[in-house]
Amino acid sequence: MNTVLEAKQLRKEYLSKVALQGLDLQINAGEIFCLLGQNGAGKSTTINLFLGFIQPTSGAAFINGLEVAANVTKVKEFLAYIPENVMLYPNLTGLENLALFSSLAGFDYKKDELIYYLVQAGLPAEAAGRRIGGYSKGMRQKVGIAIAVAKHASVLLLDEPTSGLDPKASNEFSELLLKLSDQGTAIFMATHDIFRSKEVGSRIGIMREGELVDVLPAATLNANELESLYLNYMHV
Amino acid sequence: MKKFWILLKFEWLNFRADKGLLILTMLTLMAGLYGIYYGTTEIQRQRENIAALKVLTEHNMEELKAKYPDGTDAGDIGYYHSTFAVNNPDAWAGLSLGQRDVNPYYIKLRLLNLQSQLYDTENINPLKVLSGNFDLAFVLVYLFPLLIIGLCFNILSVEKEQGTLPLLLSQPIGLPLIVSAKLTFRMMIVLGLALLLSVVAMVWGQVLPDLRVALWLSVVVLYCLFWFGVAFVVAALQKNSAFNAVTLLGVWLLLTIIIPALLNVYIAVKQPMPQALELTIKQREVVHGGWDKPKRETMDKFFAIYPEWTDTTEIQGRFAWRWYYAFHHLGDVAVADLAREYQEGLQARHQLVEQLNAWSVPVNVQTIFNAMAGSDLPSYVGFLQSATSYHDALRDFYYPFLFNQVKFTNADYAKEPRHRFTSSPDFATVSAGLYKLGLSVLLVFVVVFFLFRNVKLKVR
Amino acid sequence: MIKSIAKKEFFSTLRDSRFVALSVIVLLLLLAATVVGLHSYNTLQQERGVAQQTVNDQFANAQDRHPHRMAHYGSYAFRPKSSISFLDFGLDSYTGASVYMEAHRQNSANFSQAQQSGSLIRFGEMTVAFVLQMLIPLLIIFLCFGAFTQEKETGTLKLLLSQGVSLRQVAWAKVAGYSKVVALVTAPALVLASMLLFGKGGFELGGDVLLRLLGFMVFYLAYFFIFIVLSVVVSALHQRSSTALVTLLGIWILCCVIIPKASANLGASLYTTPTKAQMDADVHKEVAKGIDGHNSQDARAEALKQELLQKYKVKTMEELPVNFDGIWMAVGEEQSSKVYQEHFGELTDIFEKQNRISEYAGLLNPYLAVRHLSMGMAGADFSHYIHFQQTAENYRYNIAQELNHLQATKLKYGDKETRLSSETWAAMKPFTYETPTAGWALGKHLVSVVALLLWVALVCTLGIKLIDNTKVA
Repeated sequence: MNTVLEAKQLRKEYLSKVALQGLDLQINAGEIFCLLGQNGAGKSTTINLFLGFIQPTSGAAFINGLEVAANVTKVKEFLAYIPENVMLYPNLTGLENLALFSSLAGFDYKKDELIYYLVQAGLPAEAAGRRIGGYSKGMRQKVGIAIAVAKHASVLLLDEPTSGLDPKASNEFSELLLKLSDQGTAIFMATHDIFRSKEVGSRIGIMREGELVDVLPAATLNANELESLYLNYMHV
Repeated sequence: MKKFWILLKFEWLNFRADKGLLILTMLTLMAGLYGIYYGTTEIQRQRENIAALKVLTEHNMEELKAKYPDGTDAGDIGYYHSTFAVNNPDAWAGLSLGQRDVNPYYIKLRLLNLQSQLYDTENINPLKVLSGNFDLAFVLVYLFPLLIIGLCFNILSVEKEQGTLPLLLSQPIGLPLIVSAKLTFRMMIVLGLALLLSVVAMVWGQVLPDLRVALWLSVVVLYCLFWFGVAFVVAALQKNSAFNAVTLLGVWLLLTIIIPALLNVYIAVKQPMPQALELTIKQREVVHGGWDKPKRETMDKFFAIYPEWTDTTEIQGRFAWRWYYAFHHLGDVAVADLAREYQEGLQARHQLVEQLNAWSVPVNVQTIFNAMAGSDLPSYVGFLQSATSYHDALRDFYYPFLFNQVKFTNADYAKEPRHRFTSSPDFATVSAGLYKLGLSVLLVFVVVFFLFRNVKLKVR
Repeated sequence: MIKSIAKKEFFSTLRDSRFVALSVIVLLLLLAATVVGLHSYNTLQQERGVAQQTVNDQFANAQDRHPHRMAHYGSYAFRPKSSISFLDFGLDSYTGASVYMEAHRQNSANFSQAQQSGSLIRFGEMTVAFVLQMLIPLLIIFLCFGAFTQEKETGTLKLLLSQGVSLRQVAWAKVAGYSKVVALVTAPALVLASMLLFGKGGFELGGDVLLRLLGFMVFYLAYFFIFIVLSVVVSALHQRSSTALVTLLGIWILCCVIIPKASANLGASLYTTPTKAQMDADVHKEVAKGIDGHNSQDARAEALKQELLQKYKVKTMEELPVNFDGIWMAVGEEQSSKVYQEHFGELTDIFEKQNRISEYAGLLNPYLAVRHLSMGMAGADFSHYIHFQQTAENYRYNIAQELNHLQATKLKYGDKETRLSSETWAAMKPFTYETPTAGWALGKHLVSVVALLLWVALVCTLGIKLIDNTKVA
């Protein structure tokens, strides 16, 4: 199997606390890794380290074999990112925002291609030409998804991507993730949603106080088992 | 490079869609055009007023020709005939009016004592001069920094505050590229506007296309760069937009208002100008004392200065014009030291400003603009000196009539010297100022460079 | 309830170290400006006092002279600084300090501070008024921009309202709290100024000076109040602190930097000022030819001669019991002064028209209103300047006429030799200048008073009404 995303003894300390203690992780192409954990467990820290937004205290994060900290700009060609709350340029339209981000990623799409990506992400076509300022959170989230998909990245980093989406949109999003993983995309998703993790995840990691305490193969558990396991870890 | 253009393009889209920024830019453009209009019409008005002075002199001569159709003693002419020393504006003065509205641009002169005429003022509305001139220099020195601040105060912070920075940075582009694209875009707008306004002003004001075109444009560019540098130093601190806005406005206030006001205080204390009142009082005492002194004493003193007239006949009777003009002349001689000290004091004040203007870039730039336009204190002092020489020339012209007791005929008016003076640029001040401006810009950019190298970006 | 919110604003502001630092800077500037102002006031006052004393002594001790010689010798009026002008230099730096008063001629007021400075002075002067007019509003903006937006951003506004307080009550409570803070910053400087004025400054505790100082303070308090309420209202209308701040800073720049200059320049563009040379030439022409242009000076002299000869029933000028020279001079002085006064009146009218633009702009911009009132109270405005010029001109006219009268009564026709004794000059009243009363000064600025009152009323009614429209959620 082809390892796309890798963490080697990845550690991040802040002045007063350790946010991540020596994470070791490998995620292969076509795999969906869901990371569960409470607020402050270190999920976003992990994603930010893979994004190069913060520097590790020790250890290293790799994408496609490239060390992130040493290739901050280069690695971004391979990854796409959807934050928990997708924020876009309020004075530009959805279409223009998508055009900006994809052109920065090196894709010069024509207008109908851009609309295709937006519609595929669940945005009504007629909303594409309106300014982001008038969008709901869910609509912005969909533009964020379109931006990620249109980048055709080999890695997808998702930080609570479905927050703000209604159940229908969430379902569509899950289907999209499965489709992308079929095409060979490695997906790393930080989430609170146990059931959706079970539904889409290949493996599920549980993180507590900066430590990856367990990694479970999704196929071997049902949702209830997973929840009790998770709660068990949280209560220790 | 391609990504740079993409970023530029989207900066433009963002700018175009932001009403506030558009209004700010349009306001600056309008203010600039008004400043150009105001400056050039003000100079035009001064030109017209100066042209009207010629007519006044003509009228005055016609009146005297009618009064003395067969000519008369030159003393009568010297007393009743007035002519003007004029300080013609350089066309550049329309771009930077400087002190041209405060200092008189013409002096009405008679053959009498000069020092009692030299400092007469023009009709000026004090409230208007207190408020100052809305000329192009004002727009460039005061308002352009505000435009730059308005465009740049949230250059990075807005990306954080609206949450777009993480998504932007998840693309394969570095922060330096983003920042330089934003900077380039804003510089293009600001410099484009500043240079456009400058060129419009030069064409509108019909300035001579000399070295000053290049100097003016480079000062404008450097000054804008300085403020971009300041905006970037503040941006590099990575605080929120409100903090940036307050800090930048604080810097603006400090440099354009508070430091100059403090410098004013320092200069008033360091270089007081008590000579003026002393001069005016002493001059009157000496001139009017002339009436009460023995005529021989006055004449002997005068002949010591003008030995060539010594042979002229003894003065008989109560009054003779040549005696009258002699004691007027001696009045000037008596206060010559004070008058020189006064002018030197003015020069010294200007030099002190020149030394101190390194403390405030706007003051430095204003000084450069005024020096280029010939509208500051040294050019006024130059005018005073020129008017003094003109008065000397008038004396040289009339004294042969007076002392040889030749009748002044109507044909002699045409031979009377006329004054010509156009305020000239002070390139020494300009180049010294430009040097200091360059250093200030360099200093700011060194700080920018170090900050950007050493400060870590906080994405959130 | 209002009290507790006001108290919370007051104390939380005092705990904000950045605000405290800014306040300390402003307070220091204010104190420095007071001291600097007093120093400059003392220097100029002394310089002019000495000069005035010198010329008065010179006049009183002048040699025995012919009265008309004395009329040409003339005198000087040096403009004394008004006592509280150390708080606001106003126009003083741009108006001439000395007027030479001689027979036949009305001279300009010369030697202004601005003429003796380079363009640096155009950047503005460090006075108490400058700090109060420009910096305190900025401090107020910094203090108040988050009044509502911060509560919205943190969600505390909803909490506050859920306790049963109305939006208006919250607004008033905040205004009250911030007012206290502003008072805390400005009071020390105003107290110091008052103490300097009435204590060591050597000023008399005159009722008028006190009135002027009181007016000065009241107008500034109203001005601060307007800015406080305005800032709170703007804050209520915005959702985000940063946009509220930027809006307020924009208002400040417009009100304190751009409009004052633009309105003064517009005034000067609309109403053209005639040059002094043109004015003098017109005066000369009208005096020489008579105002209607048909009655020349020589013809008038001849007519007067005949009239006098007939009146006293004599044949020659020498037989007249009065000296025609003196009488004719007096008539001439009266005539030329009348013509000059007309032209000076026209010029003053033009200046006033120019200034009216700024005055009426005060209705749109409280900064201009308070600036005019402040200068007026400090005795450093346009009206005081004109008043001084008029006083000097009246003195000049009277002294010239007094000397003409001496010539007419004490000297014979054609006598250019006789000299009157020095005691004659000592008996003449020297030039003195009394600043007009506070009431007079206020009367010159009714538009600005109305503007300031309107602004207070406007922010209190319309402003607070707008607060009702605040989007809470």
